Amino acid sequence: MTLRKLLFAFFVLMCQLISAQNDSVNKLKEVVVSDKNFKKYSNSQSVLKLNDSIINKNEALLTDLLNFNSTLYFKEYGRGMLSTVSFRGTTSSQTAVIWNGININSQMNGSTDFNTVSGSDYNSISVKAGGGSILYGSGAIGGTVHLNNDFGFYKRFDTNLKLDYGSFNTIGINYKTNISNEKWSAQIGFSKNSSTNDYKYLNKYTWKGEQRWNQNGQYDVITVSANLGYKLNDRNILKLYSQTSNTDRNTSLVTETEMKSKYVNGFNRNLLEYDGNFGRFSTNLKTAYIFENYQYFADNSTNNYTYGKTESLIAKADFGYALFKSTQLNGILDYNRTNGYGTGFGNHVREISSASLLVKQDFFEHWKNEFGIRKEFTNNYESPVLFSLGSSYQFSKLYNLKLNLSRNFRIPTFNDLYWEPGGNPDLKPESSYQAEIGNVFTFKNISLTQTFYYIKIKDLLQWVPGKNGIWTPQNQDNVNSYGAETLLSWKKQFGKNSFGVNASYAHTISEDDESGNQLFFVPFDKVTASVSYSRNRISTYYQFMYNGFVYTSSDNNPDQIINDYTVSNLGIDYDFKFLDSFKLGFQVLNVFNENYESLENRPMPGRNFNMYLTLKF
Amino acid sequence: MKISKLLLIAFGISLFASCSNDDDNDNNNNNNDPKGNYENGFFILNEGSDTSGKGTVSFSSNDFSFFAKDAYTAANAGDLLGKFVQNIFFDGDKAYIIAGGADVINVVNRYTFKLIAKIDTGLVNPRYGVVKDGKAYVTNANTYAEWGGAWDADGNTDDYVAVIDLATNKFESKINVNTTANRIIEKNGKLYITDPNSTDKLSVVNIATKTVETPIIIGSSADTMEEKDGVLYILRGPFGSRSEIVKVKLSDKTTSTIAFPEALDGAGHMDIYKDKIYYTVSNSVYGITTTATEASTTPIVTATSVANLYGFAVNNDRIYLSDSGDYKSDSKAYIYNLTGTLQKELTVGIGPNGFYFND
Repeated sequence: MTLRKLLFAFFVLMCQLISAQNDSVNKLKEVVVSDKNFKKYSNSQSVLKLNDSIINKNEALLTDLLNFNSTLYFKEYGRGMLSTVSFRGTTSSQTAVIWNGININSQMNGSTDFNTVSGSDYNSISVKAGGGSILYGSGAIGGTVHLNNDFGFYKRFDTNLKLDYGSFNTIGINYKTNISNEKWSAQIGFSKNSSTNDYKYLNKYTWKGEQRWNQNGQYDVITVSANLGYKLNDRNILKLYSQTSNTDRNTSLVTETEMKSKYVNGFNRNLLEYDGNFGRFSTNLKTAYIFENYQYFADNSTNNYTYGKTESLIAKADFGYALFKSTQLNGILDYNRTNGYGTGFGNHVREISSASLLVKQDFFEHWKNEFGIRKEFTNNYESPVLFSLGSSYQFSKLYNLKLNLSRNFRIPTFNDLYWEPGGNPDLKPESSYQAEIGNVFTFKNISLTQTFYYIKIKDLLQWVPGKNGIWTPQNQDNVNSYGAETLLSWKKQFGKNSFGVNASYAHTISEDDESGNQLFFVPFDKVTASVSYSRNRISTYYQFMYNGFVYTSSDNNPDQIINDYTVSNLGIDYDFKFLDSFKLGFQVLNVFNENYESLENRPMPGRNFNMYLTLKF
Repeated sequence: MKISKLLLIAFGISLFASCSNDDDNDNNNNNNDPKGNYENGFFILNEGSDTSGKGTVSFSSNDFSFFAKDAYTAANAGDLLGKFVQNIFFDGDKAYIIAGGADVINVVNRYTFKLIAKIDTGLVNPRYGVVKDGKAYVTNANTYAEWGGAWDADGNTDDYVAVIDLATNKFESKINVNTTANRIIEKNGKLYITDPNSTDKLSVVNIATKTVETPIIIGSSADTMEEKDGVLYILRGPFGSRSEIVKVKLSDKTTSTIAFPEALDGAGHMDIYKDKIYYTVSNSVYGITTTATEASTTPIVTATSVANLYGFAVNNDRIYLSDSGDYKSDSKAYIYNLTGTLQKELTVGIGPNGFYFND
């Protein structure tokens, strides 16, 4: 029973959305987080943590979760199709996705497709706004998305199983089992999310008058995970993370007559980690092998495809030293060797080493400072010296001020450097300076975080047509991005009734330095909100998202925009209280039947339904 | 020389004369002959961006008094031409708009642009088309060779000409060309086909027998071509070596060339108009007579505002140029007179790739 209580407490604590100022999770010694530095060095930035209970309320693929619960803006080539992100007005390769502390953005195109990731494969998903290249390297300009698997070292044996069935034959099987004692901790997960995805386009008809629908849009995303932790003793922990995934997707058509194509991509990730704690000294050693590949079938009736694959070997050594009680140092050495080969860019090897130093100084409990510096060494490009400076000052229970200044970068990808024809081996990395001020107000059950930021991005990589019409990437544009983010959370218990409200609002200006135009596909405004209410066994929730209009062309032509849209979801579930939990739920997605698209001529579905069964035992 | 001087004077006068006078005259003509919005003018084809999948067609009247940026959407709200609008060809009152990325040909009334039908079978990456005796002959790139792909051999040999019956708008049959196929023209019952990639041949197809005749070796990177007085003029601008115009005498298939000096490397487009061959290198336009044996290296005009010349034509005593732009936003077309004076600048769609005349 104590275990249950602990678990319960654990989940309740995790429920607090804004955890930057909340260190409670650490007090539960049983849980070992996968990425220690994340917690340690993000006091001066805003972190949004999405736990199990929020993950379960959203559609399985990560786009949906983040779209409805964070300030991140997504554009999707139709439901379940390629989905790219823009965070704080930056490009899709300027948001880094971090898996248990390792940057997993594609080495080939620099970004992550958020419709190839199933949220349920992780214990928690955190969204950190702002620069993070010091810790996470390339791409951490707009912000970072953290996919974490944490280990509990206490006696437990529990299983979570979520089964979904919804419109357009959407089927989800998301399974996770935790087995652990004080020495061992194991986690096995499996997820399969698929859909025939043949939804009707609202109010759209062909020239013959036939109802138009999403053709060739089927997808199937499968991921298998196994994580193992072993506590040799209180000082030494070994951890092994392994994950394999395959996404098999057709690409939905813009017009009915187009050739039907298919895109298959997958990855295999393995990470071996050692944690050692020896009083003032601590060590963290990581070795990772990451494989990613894709196959593109221009005509999916044939077996002809183009492909690309990369293999990365990563070795990381992190030495921590507590100089004083208040001052901690971390020195990190990092080596990364990536071998890439494919039809587009031949066969190339890239080696990058880096050294960084991080300092954390807590003058008092309420004044925390961070400092970091990092330099990369590689033959491939000239790498800037990166730094980060941060401070968090808790003036009172009510008010916490955060300041952060950093320099971040994004390295050219294999495609940028080696694509034939056009690849440009003389590219510089994109680099950015960023400043932000965060105000965190906490009053009783209300937490309000407001962050103002300014990012100056230099040498943006753009593919432009060169002589002879061959496209080639150039360090071309400079961008100034600035804006404000507001996160609000509130929760309250009235007897048996509990209420929760979460909301976010982002106002983003992202201007090309030369033209003064807003970058295309960056909305000025985005709002999300969710309200939940539960009483006894019933819980209901409502989600809301407003996405402001975006320009679709770089010249900000007012005739060429994607209109703003507002999408709402409604859900209810009932816990039958068999086992630990046995919930049957029903959702109405896009409840007001909004006719919308995030990319021109890529309509999204109208009102649709989902049923789910969540079991815990 | 006299003609060009006369022209020069004429244009000089027209520059001083107020434009509205011209407009009035042409408008009167339009009013007398109300077939639709889109006559006595020219179309500009805009490929459209890769993401939106929407190509467009712009139209300007010859006197520039009427301009429609997206003629197809204006006439057929809610319908899409398709990805990568590549070519338009005409037959009678109809225009046939090829969307290469959508494997479709949109059949419209050439004056109103109202959709009549869509030809959507038998096409795989269609490129250019011509009409002869009620049938359209459309080149299809079929599969593309990709760098190192196992099917590159297919990509380089599987191109074909689709034969389409224009009475029914149905695909009828295909003629395999056994090499790559792109631009096409028809002369005396024969189709002549060039392709700038992976071939050094001019393909010849006999329409009557639907067979491929022995190809004529002309060299690599051959693209634009035009027939005049029994001679086929073909421009080729191979990467890293000299450009040239290859002249093929159609009666006996003999070839001769007009060699270009190194200064004209990377020649792009060619068009023949009134006994003169106009060709482009980068954003400069040059002209020589059809009987010339040497290339001119003195440009008629260098369009400094054109970053990447993407569409080119000479007609109605004007030179038409378009800039590809960044393929993400609307780009521009520039119209010069034959002596290189800018007459009009038009903001058209994304990736304008060609001019077609609707007189």
